Amino acid sequence: MSSGVDVTLDNVWIKFGDFVAVREANVNIKGGDFFSFLGPSGCGKTTILRAVSGFLNPSEGRVLIGGKDMAGIGPNKRPTALIFQNLALFPLMKVWENITFSMEVKGASAVERRKRADELLDMIALQGQGDKLPSELSGGQKQRVAIARALCAEPDVLLLDEPLSALDLKLRQHMRTELREIQQRVGITFIYITHDQGEALTMSDSVAVMRNGIIDQIGDGHAVYDTPATPFVASFVGENNVFRGKISAINGNEAVIATNRSGELLSRITPAAVGKLKVGDDAMMFVRPEVLNVGEGTDKTTISAKVLNEEFEGNSYSVFLEGNGGKRIKMAMPNMGQNQHSTKGEVVSFSYDVNNAVVMPAGELASE
Amino acid sequence: MRKPKMFSEFFKNNGLLMGGILMFLVSFWIIVLILLPQLSMLDFSFRYNLPPALQGTEADSYTLDNYRYLVFGPEGASDAFNKVDLMVFVRTILAAMAVTVLNLILCYPLAYFLGQSKGGGFIRLLVIMLVIPYWINEILRAFALRIIFGDGGVLNGVMMSLGLIDQPYDFINADIALYAGLGYAYILLMLFPMYNVIESLDRNQIEAARDMGASWVRIHRRIVIPHAKPGIASGMTMVFMLSAGALAAPQVLGGTSSLWFTQLVYQWFNDTLNWQQGAAYAIVLLVASIAIVLGFMKIFKVNMGDIGK
Amino acid sequence: MRSNILFGRVALAVYLVIFFGYLLGPLLVMGLTAFNSAPFPSITPWQCYTYEWFGALFQDERILNGIKHSFIVGIGTVILSVSIGLAASLVLTQVWPRWRSTYYTIIIAPILIPGVVLGISTLVFWRRVSEVFGENAAFLNNGLFLTIIGQSTFIASYCMLVFVARLQRFDTGLTEAALDLGATHTQAFRKIMLPFMRPAIASAAVLAFLASFENYNTTTFTFGAYPTLTIELSQMVRYGINPSISALAVIIVALTVFAALAAEVYRRRSKIKSGDIKPGKGLPAWMFGNVATILLVALSFVVIAMVYSAQAYSPAQCKIDYKAERQIENQTRIEALQKARREARQNAAPLESITSEPPSQGAGAFGSVFAPTNLEDAAGTGSEESGTPEAPASPFGSVFAPNNLEDAVGAGKN
Repeated sequence: MSSGVDVTLDNVWIKFGDFVAVREANVNIKGGDFFSFLGPSGCGKTTILRAVSGFLNPSEGRVLIGGKDMAGIGPNKRPTALIFQNLALFPLMKVWENITFSMEVKGASAVERRKRADELLDMIALQGQGDKLPSELSGGQKQRVAIARALCAEPDVLLLDEPLSALDLKLRQHMRTELREIQQRVGITFIYITHDQGEALTMSDSVAVMRNGIIDQIGDGHAVYDTPATPFVASFVGENNVFRGKISAINGNEAVIATNRSGELLSRITPAAVGKLKVGDDAMMFVRPEVLNVGEGTDKTTISAKVLNEEFEGNSYSVFLEGNGGKRIKMAMPNMGQNQHSTKGEVVSFSYDVNNAVVMPAGELASE
Repeated sequence: MRKPKMFSEFFKNNGLLMGGILMFLVSFWIIVLILLPQLSMLDFSFRYNLPPALQGTEADSYTLDNYRYLVFGPEGASDAFNKVDLMVFVRTILAAMAVTVLNLILCYPLAYFLGQSKGGGFIRLLVIMLVIPYWINEILRAFALRIIFGDGGVLNGVMMSLGLIDQPYDFINADIALYAGLGYAYILLMLFPMYNVIESLDRNQIEAARDMGASWVRIHRRIVIPHAKPGIASGMTMVFMLSAGALAAPQVLGGTSSLWFTQLVYQWFNDTLNWQQGAAYAIVLLVASIAIVLGFMKIFKVNMGDIGK
Repeated sequence: MRSNILFGRVALAVYLVIFFGYLLGPLLVMGLTAFNSAPFPSITPWQCYTYEWFGALFQDERILNGIKHSFIVGIGTVILSVSIGLAASLVLTQVWPRWRSTYYTIIIAPILIPGVVLGISTLVFWRRVSEVFGENAAFLNNGLFLTIIGQSTFIASYCMLVFVARLQRFDTGLTEAALDLGATHTQAFRKIMLPFMRPAIASAAVLAFLASFENYNTTTFTFGAYPTLTIELSQMVRYGINPSISALAVIIVALTVFAALAAEVYRRRSKIKSGDIKPGKGLPAWMFGNVATILLVALSFVVIAMVYSAQAYSPAQCKIDYKAERQIENQTRIEALQKARREARQNAAPLESITSEPPSQGAGAFGSVFAPTNLEDAAGTGSEESGTPEAPASPFGSVFAPNNLEDAVGAGKN
């Protein structure tokens, strides 16, 4: 197997007529990394993938694979293999012919192809299924055939366009682990497209979060989840309570935000916004449901609210609260064996650790 | 300048070789098979019918004579207009319209029945029975009707032996045979477009309308026919154009006294050997029938894209 | 309410019978005429059951030549129009949206252009092209070439429609996947697109061949020195006919029915195999699968039996009997006539001899003139008869030489 190579997007713009699908994308993907583009549908992530695989030309900028500019090189000449959203298995070819199609077009003999197909079928645990047609396989099996077909081409970069979206939940979770294992075994660069943050966070070394053709943040899962760069990232990746207001004081990496309905709250400034906030700016503070704890903290990290409702979710409870002025707040509590956390209508105080809250300039939220 | 970009994209998507082959075939068809011959015929229709020696000389100039002839007849003729040919023209157009409407009335119930039935073996059998006559030569189909409608044909034989008539009725000269034959020849082109669109109509819509108390007439008028409009338009266009341009059926089934316009064209070409005159007549037929179809499409708000579905 | 439904059912049944009667009746009648020994295609009067018209058909040099030309033209047209139609449909999926409707209008137009116009324009255009190229491009004026070109102009549109329908279900991702895996565009076309289009190519080819085979309007202007079967048929139909045309029709119908049934049986077989239909589930579907098979087998048996019996069967005796019968009838008729004339003579001034003027002038031969009542009129008016019998141009006019008269008289009597 070839080792992974770097993929670089250098100031890439992609336009369709007047519509800008991708705006000024600058991405460095390290060889051998599992890299994800995460964003809602229509954000331009598939467009980027098509530009890397060669089905599209960037309107501006360069795509480099292994340091080589790909301009003018067609998809069939690039060291990439793409796994399509609908898999695009050739319906009229048997499984083994599907898998070894890349060898067939290079003129490999049937014996050679058959041998290689058997190896790959072993790898994806589909021994002896080579003579079936794709329509005779289950969803997960098709998935694995598509992966084997792409790997058979011995690409330096494997591109995956939401390949798990058609599978049911159980299978999807299983395939996540399997994909990650395969990636580590073959050691090539994976570029993965998804709108599912769970997939992105569990599998990736690095994640790029996209919105309306713009890359908002690139970083590993922790960075994206714990220190979102923009309100969009904060609200799109995982759940978050958002408090709007104006900055009333700044002290180093921390700031006090005078929220509209919940009083003054203290938070750390998200790394990407350090130095960009001044007193009086419109700002947003984000606190995740799972970092809220019942009980008072300091006067600037404590909120009180009335319990509206409680939902049991198996491994946790979600408590829905209503603060001053009807402000909705969600709190998540781990299930430790107790029957319930709260009683309806009760007014509780809860607090958070300053390091678990982030404040940043106000901006667009992910619509849900 | 978007055109060059479109072509470069085309070749990028198809590769040079495949793109080149596709381009060549399509442009050969459109330019050499469709456009140039029509233009060439148009040009021809404005020329004099000259002996070979004079072709290309000064005498070979453009003229409206061929069209004038259709309207006013030969110079020095007693009538002010070419009544015979004009009558043939008008009759052809009107009769083609009549055939179209008759076919529509005849086919609509069957298209509805087939389209809304749940399929199954009986329906498949009906469809096969529908297709079989269409695979038989047009001449033979006309000939089959001639056997039936002929003077000593089956219909007359049966009617006379039943005592309904005591003399054979002349179906041929009464043009009954011709209309039956034209309708017969193109009936499937009316049926299948309608069948296809009605098949795509959700049966629940009809049931919902019925549930709300709509009568059958109203259901057809408000739901089925609006939905089937593209198919109806497609079928009517095809049947009208083909009937107006039919040659086989009029030649085999037409009476001696009444000609079809295409027969005039045929005579100019094959009997009189005046190709220029024939081309002019053909142009008139083409333009008139296209104008009529476009006019109807405008009135009934149908798009060209619906034709051929 | 119930009577309403019943009425609807009956109306539907009557309507279906009328519709299919209109559609299939003429073919049935034409088929029967092929087995009647009468020298013109008819079933009334029925003379003798015979196979002679099939023999006559296969000895007809012009028909055989026409079939040959039709096949050459058909194959050429299939190749040309299938490839053009395929290319045009592929381009249609890629043309820019704003150009699409213009493009579609152009490529659908040949279907709507009258066939005679296509034939004429092809003829005129290629005549000019060949004038430009002169002697060394004589093939441009060749009837086969012109016919193939002229027919393909519109048959390609039919093929295009077949392909467009199939392409709507094509996943362009498959071609992209092939390219992504390193295939060239040509390889992607050959290995992905062509196999996917294969069923559509087959049906387009069949459609194109049938359309070519039966085409008359265009071919009649372009055939030159190579008349196709349809052209020969039209000549025969227009300038005198005998039932060998019906015999040809029987063969074509039989082949068509055979092919349709075989296709249906095959379709059901593969559907059952692929599990789309479960055999035995749903009575009509189940029945039909068998009905098609049974019909197919029955049809084969009938054909075999007919071919076999044709070896042994001869209608000669029947014909002789029939002729004798007619002669006797004729004799009595003439005697009756003479008797009537004698009486007339006694009553009025003698007229010209009617026997010297047999009412046989072709047109209207076995028509109204010979009905007994008319005959008396004719006898009465003598030579002034010309008006009544001549008026309708009989379809079978020229066939009727005077020696067919006996038959004609028989027809009149029925």
